[in-house]
Amino acid sequence: MRSLFRAIKFAFQDIFRNFSLSLMTVLILVLMLLSVNTLVVIKFFTSQATQSIKDQIDVSIFFAHTATDEEIAEVQSFIKSFPEVSNVQYLSKEQVLEKFKEQYSDNENIIASLEELDENPLGSTMIVKTRNPGDYNKLIEALSVPEYEDIVVAKTFVDTELAIERINNITTQVERFSVILTGLFGVIAFLIIFNTIRVAIFTQRVEITIKKLVGATNWFIRSPYIIESFIFTAISVAITYFLMRFAAGLIDPYVAVVFKKDWLLTNYISSNIMMLVGSQFVVVLLLTIFSSFLAMRRHLKA
Amino acid sequence: MINLEGVTKRYNKQSTALEDIHLNVEPGEFVSIVGQSGSGKTTLVKLIIAEERATSGKVSIGDWDITRIPYRHVPLLRRQIGVIFQDFKLLDKKTIYENVAFALQVSGESGARIRTVIPRLLEIVGLPHKKNSYPHELSGGEQQRVAIARALVHRPKILVADEPTGNLDSINTQEIIEILKKINEFGTTVVLVTHNREVVNQMKRRVVTLDKGRLISDVKEGKYRL
Repeated sequence: MRSLFRAIKFAFQDIFRNFSLSLMTVLILVLMLLSVNTLVVIKFFTSQATQSIKDQIDVSIFFAHTATDEEIAEVQSFIKSFPEVSNVQYLSKEQVLEKFKEQYSDNENIIASLEELDENPLGSTMIVKTRNPGDYNKLIEALSVPEYEDIVVAKTFVDTELAIERINNITTQVERFSVILTGLFGVIAFLIIFNTIRVAIFTQRVEITIKKLVGATNWFIRSPYIIESFIFTAISVAITYFLMRFAAGLIDPYVAVVFKKDWLLTNYISSNIMMLVGSQFVVVLLLTIFSSFLAMRRHLKA
Repeated sequence: MINLEGVTKRYNKQSTALEDIHLNVEPGEFVSIVGQSGSGKTTLVKLIIAEERATSGKVSIGDWDITRIPYRHVPLLRRQIGVIFQDFKLLDKKTIYENVAFALQVSGESGARIRTVIPRLLEIVGLPHKKNSYPHELSGGEQQRVAIARALVHRPKILVADEPTGNLDSINTQEIIEILKKINEFGTTVVLVTHNREVVNQMKRRVVTLDKGRLISDVKEGKYRL
């Protein structure tokens, strides 16, 4: 316990007596963390953008005017049985007519023609969304069977097939690119941390040798550096988090214009705080400790 | 106290630092080890404090054979031998008080004992007023006195001084030698490594001479003859 208190005391002494070096170490760690977090934000925006495009794509199934409620209900339950289906919205003949009138309220001719007719000429419609755009094909194929031929008169999927395929391609490419970029950033982050800690240890190599010569054990010498690593990591992760929150507050009004959602980035950071802060803290701490062990090994041989 | 039996130290095939050294230092002795640069004096010190290991032969301190001392036991050995160096080897970022205290802290001494021992030691080397200064604020002689205080914290039975006056002027040299003599008078074995002719000649103590890694003379009341 006495050794632990001494290690903590020596760690704080080292930090304050080598203040400029400590400041530079924290600054470099913050810059590195900001780069990593920028990547996280870019990934988040990319997934939001592709998701919002995917959300806009759906398949409309138009039922024949003559289709009975039972037949429609049977098709509906058939569609819902697909695990790929995320949402089914049913619009009755009346609702379809209402929407139609709303859509063409400026066109007097169409409205007048509708009023000439005794009964509603439009059939009911079902708007179906799947979890992935690639699943629409499966759904359409399942509906293109002879038993539904007289019930389902049209499906709008054909028009959007190309768009869905392109989105799928883009999403796959973006994911592949972000994996490569994450790997690259990981390597850069490791090299930055390793070299920062190595420089910090190198400037104290003479001290380490002297400590060995007066009878200090390797652990007695190492422990203040482990505590320093902990302090540097905690400070840099905290600074990065507050900078990210501040930046998110500045960016969010612009993001709201694009995605039609308020405080999107701020909410993302808040709801993922444990994952973002926790994982970065653990990774940076392990890297700094590992780097200091590696960098110190040579000087501890005296 | 210190015993070397047929000790040879080779760094590589071309470089032999010490060759077949037989040396026995009795408890309470004051031995000067002299020789020109490259004669193997510093290697001898490094073998005694286990900074280097002998290629062959046997090195022992008291009853402790340290020839193949495990690395985990080296700190224990160094707490029992006081060492001072030509370049003082003080910790730049620690005050004089902290530098001396550090040698006690490494062995887990209590704060109360440290607060008792350090002022007394600084008093002995004449530096109680400098306890809050940093090494760079002190003269060479003062820094070497701090190093001596640090070397004495564990009340060692052996004090090894590797060229302790190498960086000092004649007045400071004299002061340091007087302190070493006094330490010896209290019963500590002192091994003084030097190539300062005047220091050796005025001592009139045992002189061991090394040349090109070999022990060429060992005289009880010797002089510097190289």
